[in-house]
Order: sequence, then structure tokens, then C-alpha cells
Amino acid sequence: MMNQPQHIKNNHYTPNNGDMLLPSEATIKDIIIENSTIKTFVIGLTDPQHAQSFSYMPGHFVMVSVPHQGEAPISISSSPTQQGPFHLSIRKAGRLTSAIHNMTKGDFLGIRGPYGRPFPMKALENRDLLIVAGGIGLAPMRSVINYCVDNASQYSSLTLLYGSRSPSDIAFKADLEQWERHPLVDVRLTVDVAEPGWNGHVGLVTSLLEDIEINNQSHSALLCGPPIMIDAVSQMLQDKGLEPENIITTLERNMKCGIGLCGHCYMNGIYICKHGPVFTMSQLNEIKRHQPK
Amino acid sequence: MLKKKIIKKDHLKPFLRKLSKGSDLIAPVRNELGDLLYQKIYSLDHQEIDLAAQPQESAKPFLFPQSERLYTYDCAKGYKFEPEKDGKPTVLFGLRSCDISAILYMDVVFMRGPKDAHYIRKRDKTIIIGIGCNQPWENCFCNATKTGPFLEFGFDLQLTDLGDRYFVESGRARGDSILDSWPQFFSPVTEEDKRLRYQLVLEARSGFTRQVHVDSAFKRIEQEGVSPSIWEYLAKRCDGCGGCAYICPTCTCFTIYDSPLSPDKGERIRMWDSCTHIGFTSMAGGHNPVNPQKDRLKRRFLHKLYYDYREFKRPSCVGCGRCLGICFGGVDIGLFVEMVCSSHKEPVEKETSILLAKLLVEAGLIDEETMQKALKDTINRGIPLGKILVDNGLVTRKQLAETLIQEIDSLGKIKSPGKGA
Repeated sequence: MMNQPQHIKNNHYTPNNGDMLLPSEATIKDIIIENSTIKTFVIGLTDPQHAQSFSYMPGHFVMVSVPHQGEAPISISSSPTQQGPFHLSIRKAGRLTSAIHNMTKGDFLGIRGPYGRPFPMKALENRDLLIVAGGIGLAPMRSVINYCVDNASQYSSLTLLYGSRSPSDIAFKADLEQWERHPLVDVRLTVDVAEPGWNGHVGLVTSLLEDIEINNQSHSALLCGPPIMIDAVSQMLQDKGLEPENIITTLERNMKCGIGLCGHCYMNGIYICKHGPVFTMSQLNEIKRHQPK
Repeated sequence: MLKKKIIKKDHLKPFLRKLSKGSDLIAPVRNELGDLLYQKIYSLDHQEIDLAAQPQESAKPFLFPQSERLYTYDCAKGYKFEPEKDGKPTVLFGLRSCDISAILYMDVVFMRGPKDAHYIRKRDKTIIIGIGCNQPWENCFCNATKTGPFLEFGFDLQLTDLGDRYFVESGRARGDSILDSWPQFFSPVTEEDKRLRYQLVLEARSGFTRQVHVDSAFKRIEQEGVSPSIWEYLAKRCDGCGGCAYICPTCTCFTIYDSPLSPDKGERIRMWDSCTHIGFTSMAGGHNPVNPQKDRLKRRFLHKLYYDYREFKRPSCVGCGRCLGICFGGVDIGLFVEMVCSSHKEPVEKETSILLAKLLVEAGLIDEETMQKALKDTINRGIPLGKILVDNGLVTRKQLAETLIQEIDSLGKIKSPGKGA
């Protein structure tokens, strides 16, 4: 139904028995506390063969099983350029994520995937990347940024605009510090509400965007955050002359299977889980056009 | 060339006994409450297969159960999932054409892209024996969805009731081999059998009482879209109970949840879900991208009658008519199609409706208050007034016709619509 860019292939890990819904055992190797509601879990698959063959790209997600809680889709927040276990950065938002937050090093999870179509990292080479993230929206972007940093010669520049509610809500502080030191990356932070001791920018992430000059020939923007932020930023970028095909986002949906069967993420004839969750704005516009008047 | 045979009705039971040895036999049986349902046959001697009517539920649950254990898990040491063991092979007998067509649609859903192992392990071991419908039932519209009353393919065997015998046709190689395995039950087809079958098929096709214009609805949706007032009306009448999705033989949406059995063990269950439920799309944190109810109905009806139609060149509605009887609010595919098809004539309809209302009140057939209500209904739902009056038993078709003829006579001429101006 939708033209799939050549370099993006559906990535389905098929376990040996062919059962796509069967989770693989994994352990929590480490936990990084990012802020009061976000933790990054370092995940190692038990089966060494599976761990060996587990390959992913920024933007992929996995279905995470938590004992007695069921499954939820979580995007991978580490970069495939960094060997070893992968990371899942999870905000405590509901029943299942609260249960994960109560887990400790050495506890077991189930993993299926990776699923979905990732960010088109190949097509983004030699471009000036503008990454706009809000709150937990930095999780999949953390994968993108670390991928770019590890392939720094392939990308022209990378500007990160990151919005948080307050200074104490700023997550991924260790990563932010590292990126600030890297010549490829320009990190700009903002908070909705300041706290004593905060000397940085105050205002919505859109206010950071005002100072950014956009050139449609060289820029690509990657957005992730609350829907209202995505809409506002996307509109502003288009007003600045960026074409919808150069604005990329990743959508969050209720998903039960991750492989286009359960129907929860169905939208106008497509499945967010397998046709996305990464879409360009022009693809999303086309999907909207699928809907009759 | 696939085989065609005759089986005498007396031979059916012995044949099924042989065929279903070592398998589960599922067939329509009337239970003690009087409901006709596809059920597991434990004893052909004590349960009577009833092929006289359309079963009230489809055969969907035998391949895609309402609730199905996918795995048992153990999280005492580690976290291990044990898949369910394979069940017995199944013979689905006496399936109506709509129900077989629905299975073909489920095949597309569960076997097209990433294959669903839990569906396939049941599907691969299922023999399908259908029976064509000599007489469509009240709510049937498989003529409009091209999924009946008889099928050309999709079955292992298809029966046609010829009175004291069944005409049996094979639909694939496995059907042929079934006929070859038990030749003692079958006799050759005569020219008379063929002629009789042909005639019955033709008669069945002309026997539909309900006209649901699925094709025109698709064209109208594609060209003109759907009037927002239709969604608003349907949303007002929909309680979001999911009954339409559960009864629908092609609705395959599901949820997966864990059911703990002890602190260390539990089951992972797959269960039917419905896109009309408010929680279907809501996420942790409260955001719901498909809200309010009219958006959910839009998604449901357009999935079946528009998006699937675009992708597969046919709707994913098989015209079984079961949703027409299940909804408290009457929010079914039939009503939606009717509203879409009639919405374009709304202004004309309004004028003619008001004229018709006047005539009927003047003739003393309906009091003014009742007519006001019916008129309101017409305008809100975009359904012709005459239909509303007849459906609610307020006038008969004959009275309606007579009133109109009198008026036409008094005018002295008929102005043909569409040819004037």
C-alpha cells in the first residue's frame, strides 16, 4: 500500500520454531536511574546464539514480557554500534512499567523482536540532523544519536533540542554530558518550569527552534515526544521550509503482538507496528489521505 | 477436474463416523436451549446434526478461539514459556458458505505476513465440508459480498441438498482423496442430479429478501466520503460493547494477557478484542489516539468496507447477517451501508418524505405525532420515510403504494426523476 524505501526492510527475528509470539528469556544486567520516573535497563539475552544473532537499528522496538504482567512494546535506546547487551529506557507509566521499575539486577524478562521499521540511518548520511525530543521521547533518539556519534564521519552535524518539564526531570544526564563534549553534537536543553539553580533556557521546545536556521537541501529532522509536541514542531519546521519528507517521527501505540495481527495499532489500512513505527511526515500525510472524506 | 459424487442422506452419518475417526468432529447441533450452534460431536448417535438453518455463531472459534492459552510460563528460576501442545485434527462439517469465506479471510490475516503459529497448527489439520444454502435466511446478504450462497472454492467438500441425497463436490485434492478413501458411500452423479443442482443454485440466488448494496457503498465512500452526521448518529447508538466484533466471523483482533496461577507460574492467554471498546487503543498514561466513539466506529466500518476492499478488491464482510440481530442500537453493517447509499439523496428525500407524510396523515393512516417522530428519524438517519414506516409496522407496503398511486392519479402524470430539468 505504501512505498517502502529500499533501505528499510521489515526486520522480523523468527525463532527456530517459527512461533513469532514466543518470548526469549533475558536478564536485567544493570539499571541506570535517569530521573524519578525513567530508568534504563541493560538487557542480555540468555541464549548465546540468540544474543549473537540479535541485530537491530535505531528506531526498532521489542515486545517486553514481565512475569504476570503481559507484554508491552518498548523502543531500544542503545545503538547497535555499541556491542553487547541492549538498553531499554522505560518511563513508569502504568501497571507493566511500574512492575519493571520494581525489578532489580539479575531479574528476568521476556523479549520478542526487534520489530518495526527503523530510522533510515543510511539515507540520513551526509545530512544535518535536527533531533527534537520531549521527555521519554529521547529514548529512541538516544539510539540515533549514539549511532551517529559512532559513525561521526557519515553525518554533517547533529543538533539536539531536548525539552523537559523541570530541571530535575531532565533524563539521560550522563549521555547529555557525553554528547556535549562531542564535536558532532550541539545539545540545547530547555525546561517548561525553572527551579532554583537553573541558568538554562526556559520555555517549550518550540522556543528553542526559533533560533535554528533550516535548509531543506541539507536538513533532516527527527522528532519524538508527546503528540502535541510533534504536531507543533512539525508545523514550525514546515513553516521554516522543511519538506514533510525530511521530517521523521516515531509513533507510540497500544500493541499486543508487534507483527501486524492483533489490530490494536491499525490506522487507515496500515499497521503502525510493521509499517512503522518510524514514518516521515509525508508518509503520515499519505496515510491520512487513505481515509475517505 | 475435481470430483463430483452423490451421497444418500442415510449414508452421511456412517461416512462422518469414518472420516472423523481420530479427529474432532464439529457440526451444527441444536442445544437444549434451542440454539443452533457449531459444536463438538461427542456421539453421532446421541447428537443430531441440524442442517436446516444457519448456525447462530460462525465457525471462527474453532480456529481462533474466543480465549486460548498460548503458553504456560514459569518464572521461578528464569522465565520460560512452554507452548501449547498440538490438538487433534478437526473436521468442520456443515459450514455455511459465509463461514467458509470468513475462514479464507482469516487465512489471509494469520498466514499472509508473519505467520501465526497458533492459528496454523489448527488450520493445517482442519478438513472443511460445507453446505450451500438452498434458501437464504432473513438477514443474509452474501449475494452482495460474493461469498455465497454456494462457493466455487475454499472447501474440501461442498454439499448441495437435493432432497433425499446430497450432491458432493470436491474443492481441492484433499477433497478428492476423501471421496476416493470411502467409495462405498458415494455413487456417480447423473445428468438429472447436475440439472437439479444447477436449478437449486439459481433459485437460491434469487431468494434474497434483504438488499445490502456493499459495492455501491464502497464506490460512494471512495468518491464522496461519508457524511459526518452518519458517524455521529451511529456513535449515539453504539454502546461500545463489542458484540458485533465477537459475532463477526471475520473480526480477528485480539488481546494478550497473563493470568497468574501461582507466584511462580501462569498462563499467557489470547482473547478476542474489539475495536469498539474504549480501551482498545488507550495507552499507559491515558493517551488514546482513537477517541471518541465515532472514530472507533469509523475505523471499524471503513476497515471492513473500505480499506480491505481497496486492498483485496472485496470487503471483509461475508454477508452472514449475524451483526444485524446482535446490536441493541441497530448499529450494524446493513444500516451503515444503507445510510451511506441513501445519504447522497438526502435533500430530495426530505422533500418527498414531507409530501408522503402529508398524504398519509390526510388519508388518516397515521396520526400526526407518530409521523413527526418517523420524519425526525428519516432526517437523522438518512433512511427513506417509507422504509421506516413499513419496518415499524405503521403502514403496509400496499397502503403506501395505494396512497402514492391516488396522488399520482390526481396529478395526472408522473414526472420521472432524473430526466426532468
